Amino acid sequence: MSVRERLFGDGERSGGSAERAFLVGGVCLLVAALLVFTPLAVTVPGSSFVFIEVGTLFVIYGLLVLGLDLQYGYTGLVNFGHVVFFAVGAYTVAMLSAEGSFAGVALGLPWLLALPVGVVAAAVLGAIVGTTSLRLRDDFLAIVTLATAEIFHTLFVNFRGVFGGNVGILGVPQPIADLAADSDTAQIATLVLFGGVTIIALGFMTRLTGSPYGRVLRAIRADELVTRSVGKSTFSYKMQAFVYGAALAGFAGGLFALYNGAVAPGFFTIQVTVTIWIGMLLGGASNHRAVLGGLAIIMGLRLLSRFALEVTPVSADAFASIRLIAVGLILVLVIRYRPAGIWGDERELGVDS
Amino acid sequence: MGLAQNVIFGLVTGSYIAIAAIGFTLIYGIVNMINFAYGEYLTMGAFIGILTVGVLPLPLPLAAVVAMVGGGLISLLLARLFFTPINQTGPVPMLLTSIGLGLVLRNGIRLTAGQSARYFDTEAITFRFDGLPPLSVGSVDLLGGFFVTSEQLIVMGCAVGVFLLVHTLLTRTDVGIAMRAMGDNENLARVRGIDTQRIRDSVWVLAGVLAALAGVLLGIQTNVSAGTGFSQILQILSAAILGGAGSPYGAIAGSYVIGLVLALSTAFLPAGMTGISSAIAFLILIGVLLVKPSGLAGQEVREA
Repeated sequence: MSVRERLFGDGERSGGSAERAFLVGGVCLLVAALLVFTPLAVTVPGSSFVFIEVGTLFVIYGLLVLGLDLQYGYTGLVNFGHVVFFAVGAYTVAMLSAEGSFAGVALGLPWLLALPVGVVAAAVLGAIVGTTSLRLRDDFLAIVTLATAEIFHTLFVNFRGVFGGNVGILGVPQPIADLAADSDTAQIATLVLFGGVTIIALGFMTRLTGSPYGRVLRAIRADELVTRSVGKSTFSYKMQAFVYGAALAGFAGGLFALYNGAVAPGFFTIQVTVTIWIGMLLGGASNHRAVLGGLAIIMGLRLLSRFALEVTPVSADAFASIRLIAVGLILVLVIRYRPAGIWGDERELGVDS
Repeated sequence: MGLAQNVIFGLVTGSYIAIAAIGFTLIYGIVNMINFAYGEYLTMGAFIGILTVGVLPLPLPLAAVVAMVGGGLISLLLARLFFTPINQTGPVPMLLTSIGLGLVLRNGIRLTAGQSARYFDTEAITFRFDGLPPLSVGSVDLLGGFFVTSEQLIVMGCAVGVFLLVHTLLTRTDVGIAMRAMGDNENLARVRGIDTQRIRDSVWVLAGVLAALAGVLLGIQTNVSAGTGFSQILQILSAAILGGAGSPYGAIAGSYVIGLVLALSTAFLPAGMTGISSAIAFLILIGVLLVKPSGLAGQEVREA
């Protein structure tokens, strides 16, 4: 083994794909900038709006699943309240930047200031939850995070004066829609811009986890005691992974608020957590591209059921139930028969299939 | 309404949470999993009971028995299909499987039974006690008259009956003693010749029976719809963990704490904030996990 190989090892190999991700992401950002800042306009056929809508949600959830994969796939932290960081990011950005909301706090500050504050707010919450509960056993960490998410959901619904109750915060600025030539262009630009952001995040994650730092995280997942006995402060590594994931989710929440123009408790239910968890497990935890692929399959199912709705005689409610039954069965079957997911590495995850 | 009345409400809520929480905590202690689909077992039990009363015309007590038998069988069947095959994979895959199973069951129920809420048609007799004088401190009445309906008495009576039966089962019968042995140390129990799989099956049946009874009582006291079980699961779980996961006696105590907190916070919080009472229950849960993770009675759940 040459010195160079020994020094870079995994980092070198994954470095190639990280750079490719940065390149593709950069191109996406450029295209988005072109669409937003020039009078260039695109028209979208009406039937494909649903694709753009679900696609935009997919790239936002993509940021969530990347953060969750850092926590669970790499470090082994069972965070079952990931949606709370998404929600806190979104609410912080919305409350700081909204103007003339129907109810709740609306400060009307510039959104460029609000977005980083949203990220910090989510990271701080992550740090608080982390300090208090990362020492708990896996399944109890799941319960604490889940309970945290439920507490915040209840607060959002009940404190109308601050969070706007069930209506939420309205009048959040939509910078892309304001700048772009028309609404079709704005939709495409949003999708391309957020897609670029997610791809760049993928690049960063690949870099981070391919580095020696990432190897420590994986070692913690495999055996925390061994990792501690070779002199790594496992708690602070776990804490960092948890906070990074939370901050990324807060960022995704901020983007969601600025895209949607409003936030409400209904957007931040336990359903979001379940969706990204199933996407991650289906694709294969601890493989960044695999978790995105798994999420794409789960969200593709949502698209499929929308189209199937038009050709079958059942009601929308019944169809939603059928889709959720399918999602639940997928989760059960994946854990039973392919515990490492579709593209996951069984040896890496230490599971038998 | 005074304090006395709200204590009664709290005891009623605590009673059906306790019946369910015993089953939940036994599964936790002996099968070693957090069963997130457990709320759906309540819903299924309640719907079996409602179906029996409506279609077969059986009297309510018999329908409750039918529901309990059905709940036990369904619980065993689901365990055999979904949980027993992955028993060796550890707590996290089993928790995730139960979340998936919960989604399937909840939406299956919604698909077959519809969205509307059902209830048992019972005639309630209300007993009033107006003799107690109000004891006002500021706007809060610390005593006051109260009433209790026959339905509420049934719920509380059933709970006491269940506690006595479960206690007898766990201390006086071979199966119950074997359950406690397995909860304590599974390997040692197997070495002593206990058929661990059979004990696990009996725990699933017992948990299913208790869940169905809790569901039926919920249907008598209020109403049930497809989402009822899911709205109860976090309270059941809080109660079980509060009492020390794995300990049935702890679960009973935890359930009444949760029930009283829910009732009292609903009554004495300023109007407009009553919705946060469930958040308070979770806050207690988190607080307990942080300060004394083993709960009121139970084992260590911290790793380091």
